[in-house]
Amino acid sequence: MRETTEQRKNIRHPLLDRRRFLSCSGSIMASMGLSHLLQADGHLASSSKPSTLSTQPIRPIIDPAHPHAARPVHFPAKAQQILMIFCSGAVSHLDTFDYKPALWRHHGKPMPGADGLITFQGEQGNLARSPWAFRARGQSGKQTSDLLPHLGSLVDDLCFIHSLTSETNTHGPGENFMCTGFTLDGFPSIGAWTTYALGSEVDSLPAYVAIPDPRGAPQSSVNCWGPGFLPAAFQGTDFNANQPVRNLRPPADVAATSDRRTRDYLNHLNRYQLKTHPGDSELAARISSYELAARMQLSVPAVSDLSGEPRHILQTYGVDSPGTDTSTTNLKSAYARNCILARRLIEQGVRFVQLFNGAYQTGGEGVSNWDGHKTLEKQYQVHGQIMDQPTAALIQDLRQRGLLDHTLVVWCTEFGRMPTFQKGASGRDHNPRGFTAFLTGAGVQAPFSYGATDPFGYQAVENIATTHDFHATLLHLMGLDHERLSFYHNGIERRLTNVHGNVIGDILL
Amino acid sequence: MKKTNLSMEHRNNSWIRGLLRTVCVVALSSCMVVGAQDSPQDTLDFQRQLAPIFRDYCIACHGPEKQKSGLRLDTLEGLLRGGESGESLLPSHGIESSHLLQRLRSTEDGFRMPPEDRSLDEAEISLIERWLSIHGKQATQVAADLERSFDHWAFQPIKRPEIPHQTSGLDNHAIDSFILQELGKKGLTLSPEADKQTLARRLSLIILGMPAPLEWVNDYLLDDRPEAWEKLVDRLLASPQFGETWGRHWLDIARYADSNGFETNRERKTAWPYRDYVIDAFNQDKPYADFVAEQLAGDSLGRHQATGFLVAGPNDIVKSPDISLTLAQRQNELDDMVHTTSTAFMGLTMGCARCHNHKFDPILQSEYFGMQAIFAGVQHGERSIKDALSPEQTQHLKEIELNLISLEREMAAWRRKSRQMGEESGPARRAPVSPRYNEESFAPTSARALRFTILASSNAEPCIDELEIFDSHGTNIALASEGTTLRASGSLTGYEIHQLKHLNDGQYGNHRSWIANTVGSGWLELHFNKPKSLEKVVWSRDRNAQYEDRVVTDYIIEVMDEQGAWQAIADASGREPLVSSSDPKAFVHHLPPSDQSVVLTLFRQKESLEAERRSINQGTKAWLGFFEQPEPTYRLYRGDPSAKREIVQPASPGFHAPFTLDNETPEKERRLQLAKWITDPDHPLTARVMVNRIWHHVFGSGLVATPSDFGRNGLAPTHPALLDWLAQTFIQHHGSTKSILRLILTSRTFRQSSQPDDKGLDADAGNRLLWRFRPRRLSAEAIRDSILWCAGNMQEAMGGPGFYLLDVQSENVMHYFPKENPGPDTFRRMVYMNRIRQEQDAIFGAFDCPDGNQVMPDRPESTTPIQALNLFNNPFTVVQAASLSERLKKEAGAEVEDQINLAFLLVQGRTPDAYEQTISLQLVQKDGLAAFCRALFNSNRFLFLL
Repeated sequence: MRETTEQRKNIRHPLLDRRRFLSCSGSIMASMGLSHLLQADGHLASSSKPSTLSTQPIRPIIDPAHPHAARPVHFPAKAQQILMIFCSGAVSHLDTFDYKPALWRHHGKPMPGADGLITFQGEQGNLARSPWAFRARGQSGKQTSDLLPHLGSLVDDLCFIHSLTSETNTHGPGENFMCTGFTLDGFPSIGAWTTYALGSEVDSLPAYVAIPDPRGAPQSSVNCWGPGFLPAAFQGTDFNANQPVRNLRPPADVAATSDRRTRDYLNHLNRYQLKTHPGDSELAARISSYELAARMQLSVPAVSDLSGEPRHILQTYGVDSPGTDTSTTNLKSAYARNCILARRLIEQGVRFVQLFNGAYQTGGEGVSNWDGHKTLEKQYQVHGQIMDQPTAALIQDLRQRGLLDHTLVVWCTEFGRMPTFQKGASGRDHNPRGFTAFLTGAGVQAPFSYGATDPFGYQAVENIATTHDFHATLLHLMGLDHERLSFYHNGIERRLTNVHGNVIGDILL
Repeated sequence: MKKTNLSMEHRNNSWIRGLLRTVCVVALSSCMVVGAQDSPQDTLDFQRQLAPIFRDYCIACHGPEKQKSGLRLDTLEGLLRGGESGESLLPSHGIESSHLLQRLRSTEDGFRMPPEDRSLDEAEISLIERWLSIHGKQATQVAADLERSFDHWAFQPIKRPEIPHQTSGLDNHAIDSFILQELGKKGLTLSPEADKQTLARRLSLIILGMPAPLEWVNDYLLDDRPEAWEKLVDRLLASPQFGETWGRHWLDIARYADSNGFETNRERKTAWPYRDYVIDAFNQDKPYADFVAEQLAGDSLGRHQATGFLVAGPNDIVKSPDISLTLAQRQNELDDMVHTTSTAFMGLTMGCARCHNHKFDPILQSEYFGMQAIFAGVQHGERSIKDALSPEQTQHLKEIELNLISLEREMAAWRRKSRQMGEESGPARRAPVSPRYNEESFAPTSARALRFTILASSNAEPCIDELEIFDSHGTNIALASEGTTLRASGSLTGYEIHQLKHLNDGQYGNHRSWIANTVGSGWLELHFNKPKSLEKVVWSRDRNAQYEDRVVTDYIIEVMDEQGAWQAIADASGREPLVSSSDPKAFVHHLPPSDQSVVLTLFRQKESLEAERRSINQGTKAWLGFFEQPEPTYRLYRGDPSAKREIVQPASPGFHAPFTLDNETPEKERRLQLAKWITDPDHPLTARVMVNRIWHHVFGSGLVATPSDFGRNGLAPTHPALLDWLAQTFIQHHGSTKSILRLILTSRTFRQSSQPDDKGLDADAGNRLLWRFRPRRLSAEAIRDSILWCAGNMQEAMGGPGFYLLDVQSENVMHYFPKENPGPDTFRRMVYMNRIRQEQDAIFGAFDCPDGNQVMPDRPESTTPIQALNLFNNPFTVVQAASLSERLKKEAGAEVEDQINLAFLLVQGRTPDAYEQTISLQLVQKDGLAAFCRALFNSNRFLFLL
């Protein structure tokens, strides 16, 4: 089955030139909505369910003057925004949410069938129970560990997936895989795919914001929010509560009034010179981009300004909460501020917010991320303290404000860790065969636990969910068909899920 | 569904009938005669023999309607071709290896076919098995020879089309004729010619990637002769900036960058020789066939730098004991080479056949691995370049030799002087300290303790493996076993082998030694259990004679008497300086200090000349890959390195006189053969792909709008005849890029206005037919380069190591941060910026600048507020705007109007009209020239090619 040339014409110019955009959408766009036109064009199935009738790729039609204009979903969905909380370094499922009593019974014994097993850093020692006790929480009685008591208190609202798998046991490729669907560098992040598909409802803020950990970038760095081969328009804009958007403010030595007059002159000149090219989309688009930039100069500082947040909010999130170790307290406080920023961005309607916990550049191997190879207990004590309360407060705050009605919250990491300690060490090696993530908010079941690992938590055995399945489900929850949302690049209709992925139907509401 | 015996019988009968047939209708899809000499029983009558079984069980999913996993079982061709998995359904070695039988007989759910509970019974499977065992071998041969469908346009020979007759009155430029022909079909024609200023700027930015010198543009503007345009075209094509710009286009295709990528993302400090090779190739207008061949096999063709192409892509250096990770990494490296080579030169997306047969193009999975076998010996890494010496280098070597001889003469004189002074230097000096053994003897002295203070060491923290103190009986009383206790200023921690207690444990050697925790200093105190009479102290760095570093070179030894008072009894005075006996500089120490510095300067000159001589003679190391004779290549089921299938020989894809090499073929030979095959003038893809790339970079879009995909999934050419005509012309001009460019640039099609008109927009809004020149935004590089050029700050130095716009924080994993205030060393063309994978430049990265992780033949062109913020607010723009305003004052004189005029000429390539003058003047008067320049650097007329 092949597309017609007409259907394929936006292959070369994903950013359709404006004239063509308008000629394709016409003046009726406002009254009819773009979706009708897309239907007419064969781009969209008319069914409200994901259609199996058509397998044609859907390449969103993008107005170059407004690349972030809201675009229609493929089918109706509850979630309109995503908050992805990404814990970098591979959080051990066995010390957080995946309770394995067998590890207590077999603590200190070799893992059966694991003779000579070689993992990322080498040989395995014996099975090791978690240093933290697990206990039943909430109405549901879901067992989670004492490492993350605040998140534990939310179990009745959470939908766990315990049977995730990854394709790699290395952090860089693993973070690429969780964020872009490919282990290699250079592919678009899930946030870029989402904003490419849907644009944004708000035009004075970036459609896609990445909030790096206060300590720096994750291991695969900007890949996690990169546009890959998608137009740069769909790249995540990275800033956090401490580090504003680069180049947002006028240069230091330019007075505000002079800056404004210079911008006015530029606008005037551009509009005057546009007269020779009436109706030329690309030129007009650039003029609008300067106007939007000016709006962002006001709106980004406003959304990042937490000074108006009431005291009780700061306290709930754990900003400036007392702690035994000052550096941990400071980090927790900085992360908590990022959590408040995330809420404010969701509140403002930003389509995709990606919040990072853990960084590589200030110390790999578990020092400032979740990569607990050697001294897991000591390191996780710190990471748990930083991540737990602010994250839980963020989820609660979103819920109390009614934002979870249309926001999907995703908590994830690149892969899991071994049920054994590494030979000669007190920490766990990488394990892509089974790990846990949770979802909460729009469109997902709760309380719910999907899939399971074996009794030691070594590999997923029940309802195995690949990372592709996970991505397919996230897109589905946003009203997008992962098999059809595509972008033509180097001979291939590229998708977030490559040629794989099945929506995990069981967890949907 | 239950099968009935009746249908069984029916099928049985048709099977037998099939075997008994004496005449077979020859038709690919139903029947195939293997050879005239074969007996009738040997005919492969698929339709009669197997089709009925498949019809009942398989056709619903693998037939004319649906082809799940790309498999069709309603025709013999389908059976022979197999599905996407690339597995042949026929037996490759022995009947049990038939993938078809394996799937039919499997007990594994999900693998067994048909799925669900509709499995064939054993009798039916036996029928198929019998058919395969009788006909399988022949069928396999047939499958190998099976002519795949190469009817797609791009695989057809390049034609020499007639130039269409045109009546437009234009001066019969072939390109215009082809373009007008297609425009005419839609009732369109070319737009009027653009004005000369617009044309000069358009041409400069396309050819040089930055504005041309104002004088050149003026010459053109003032020259009314018809050949003025061609003169400007030639002038620009001859400029070295041409190679920098067009080389950059190629580097996008070669996914070139200066770091490894992946999580460690280490710098590749020696990748640039390939970048310079590419720039030089465009400037020299190297014949395209040579350009291709050298990048694939430059090591055999005397152009080593060119092989940087093979290994320019990302590679993962994080290794693990886990073998599956290592194998997957290697597969990714080879895939990168196969994919880049096939897309860059042939517009063929062979990478799509890594896990299964290509879904759109006639490329089998086995052919993907045939191609992989060609590159199987290529490894990422550095290689030493030893090109033949150029005449300049030979001359330079002679000069170096002469300089070295005169330096040696001078030094001989100094050696003589040193010997004389050494003879005159009076009493014999003591031997220098030694790493092996040192002693200080003195008259017997009674002491309660001894202190050894280190004043200097040869380097780093000093190390002592043993310190011994002998009494008058020759007993070592320093030993802990003698009751002596030990204290020290501090000890280096964290090393089992370096401990304070090792100092007096009676054991020698580095592994039983002590190291201080301070560089070049430290002290040790040994306290005796009672006063003792001392005569000699002995110590060493490493009595086992392995280590010579960290030697104590200056020291003082004190003893404490019974009253507790310290008194010095020995020190390093009188010792010769510590030099190794073979040190050629040893003689310097006998010279007075003023002479010493003169001689040491001579030494430095000598060393640098020698290094230069070495680098010329031996070549230098560069990131060009290295080559090893590889192990055999296997086809991998679903691309999975743990699922090896049959051995695959090095081979080209199966079109255009394909070649296959045996597995013993030397590694170099494989790449040479491939280069030969790709550059064959009759190859249907090579020339077409390259002329289309040239067209793409001139007009912003190719005649084939998917420049690296000429396959069925790409777009068809808008002007097939023009594409072939250009390809033929390219071949006739020996692959001269400049010739093709000259042709295109001198056409009216190129020189038409970019202004839109309603008729054109209505008929062809995307301008695929070229009724106007489509305006487009400058690339990231062109914006930055033009700003530097306008500001008068562009450094013209070409080639060599690149510059950084990022600060590098070097650890196991590299971290990069945008430089706060990049200095003039970064004011070079952006093609020389070290491109770091994943890390984009803080200003220009947002302008769709590729980072080299992916092959990027066609950059997206997006417009975002982040671009606006970056360009308007970044200090770089402000600094350059200030420079430009200084330049305006200097070059245009004191009149603001003149300054504004010049600014428009430099930045927008045009003269401002009265209104623009007026509004600009208002801004300059209020906010100064620099503010005005900052605005101009953000103006559409600067950022766009019109």
